[in-house]
Amino acid sequence: MSEEAVKSESPYVLRCFVNGKEELIDTKPAARLLTIVRDELSLTGTKRSCEIGRCGACMVLIEGKAVNSCLTMAYQCSEKQITTIEGIAVQGMDPVQQAFLEEGGFQCGYCTPGMIISVKALLDENPDPSDDEIAEALSGNICRCTGYGGIWRAVKRAAEGRRQTT
Amino acid sequence: MGMNIQETIASPLVWHPQTAAEAWQLKQTYDIEAVYTSGGTLLRTQWESGISAMPQHLIDLSAIRGLNELRVGEAGLVVGGQTSLQSCRSNALLSRHFPMVTEAIRTIAAPSVRQLATIGGNVASSIGDSIAALLGYDAEVIWFDGTREHRALLSEWLHEASAAKRGNERLLLSVLLPFEESLGETPVSNGAEDLTSQMKRFGAYHKVGRREAFTPSVVTACINGVLTCSNVIKQIRIALGGGQTVPVRLEGLEKEISGADVDGQLLRHVYDRTIELFEPREDLFASAAYRKSTAANLIVSELWKAAKDNTKQL
Ligand SMILES: Cc1cc2nc3c(=O)[nH]c(=O)nc-3n(C[C@H](O)[C@H](O)[C@H](O)COP(=O)(O)OP(=O)(O)OC[C@H]3O[C@@H](n4cnc5c(N)ncnc54)[C@H](O)[C@@H]3O)c2cc1C
Ligand code: FES
Ligand code: FES
Repeated sequence: MSEEAVKSESPYVLRCFVNGKEELIDTKPAARLLTIVRDELSLTGTKRSCEIGRCGACMVLIEGKAVNSCLTMAYQCSEKQITTIEGIAVQGMDPVQQAFLEEGGFQCGYCTPGMIISVKALLDENPDPSDDEIAEALSGNICRCTGYGGIWRAVKRAAEGRRQTT
Repeated sequence: MGMNIQETIASPLVWHPQTAAEAWQLKQTYDIEAVYTSGGTLLRTQWESGISAMPQHLIDLSAIRGLNELRVGEAGLVVGGQTSLQSCRSNALLSRHFPMVTEAIRTIAAPSVRQLATIGGNVASSIGDSIAALLGYDAEVIWFDGTREHRALLSEWLHEASAAKRGNERLLLSVLLPFEESLGETPVSNGAEDLTSQMKRFGAYHKVGRREAFTPSVVTACINGVLTCSNVIKQIRIALGGGQTVPVRLEGLEKEISGADVDGQLLRHVYDRTIELFEPREDLFASAAYRKSTAANLIVSELWKAAKDNTKQL
């Protein structure tokens, strides 16, 4: 080989920034981010459900984009900024969370952290989404309780709130 | 809850080659113990479902220089294999010139999965839902054999991949989309518009799944062509895939109908020949017969619509 390819071995120290704080985590390079945030960092707001990218319960923000933490491997998070649901509310309740509360965007609440993360990513990128854009952005988040009516209203209200403050 | 079973029994070494040559060399060294890994989203699905075991080595392709961008090259739009599907989804050049590829990508998984998933992984899997749309534009692939880069038609690459005993082990670098004749506005999916005053370009991509959104495909179908103002077919490409079927162009049928008028007889012929020529793989959820008739209906209805829209505009 012309240059030595870099190798991530086990044990492996992942350096990343979780909710704004630098973390050095002893793990395995192919360990899943879901396992790391819940079991290593005790950030259990990120939910575990299907574990194959199909439900959205485990959603986190990586560099501001919503990504399924059950599909993301440790090495893919190296040096990245990761925000979990716990990091959304550091300066008090986020307007997206407030909108979910006011519009009844949840029942059992299991899907809610993932929903909030996806809505946050959507509105940060596109403060005035069309109905089609909302549907596409939330297509990877499954809710078994609400029938989506309250969630839909919450997204609309959060978008409306953001338009009024900008 | 603890780690899942794959994480406890296996912890692969992850290699981060900086060049295609290094990646290729690693694959030669570790052979079946190693897999090329782009976003890892399809691999993860295969590991979790037990279709394959987690290997001892992952060859992470994301650090190879120059593969995660979309740029205009001499021969067309070059989409680096490491470009995420979500970057492709929101790329203005891609949607302007190759709207059916954008549409195909819109229907793959969900945005959060597409942040990790790459176009290279989708194509290299040989069964990704972007492939039928890429075939509809006569896409090519650039791949590396350890010594040099090769350029090949995607249709041939897929054919060789399905014939290869150990599956597709060639290192895919980029996908190349040749610009179509007119560099002006090109067709919006399912629409028809001027190529020259005498010609209309038309095209459509459809994915049929078991649900409306966020669903694996049962059938993917792409049709892309040019009609004269009197509805004679000047150019036509028909590509079909879906599920575990390696997508194909129906080149035999394309030849048969080039130069023909779109009328009732031709549409019947297209239907019958699609049923004959398309050989989808069936599974527990959908038979081959269902997939064939779905594909034939999609192609015939799009051809009929294009001819009808064309006649209306006269
Ligand atoms: C929840 C979920 C939903 C999905 N829905 C869809 C869907 O609707 N449609 C669809 O098409 N797919 C779907 N997929 C599958 C997958 O996400 C896509 O096919 C994706 O594009 C694969 O890209 P990747 O970068 O993750 O590939 P990887 O998983 O990294 O690799 C896929 C395969 O290609 C090989 N490979 C990767 N890159 C290269 C390369 N450059 N050269 C040679 N070989 C290579 C790998 O070894 C592996 O065999 C879904 C997956 C999940 C988890
Ligand atoms: S647990 Fe990750 S998407 Fe379901
Ligand atoms: S509120 Fe129960 S799953 Fe959504």
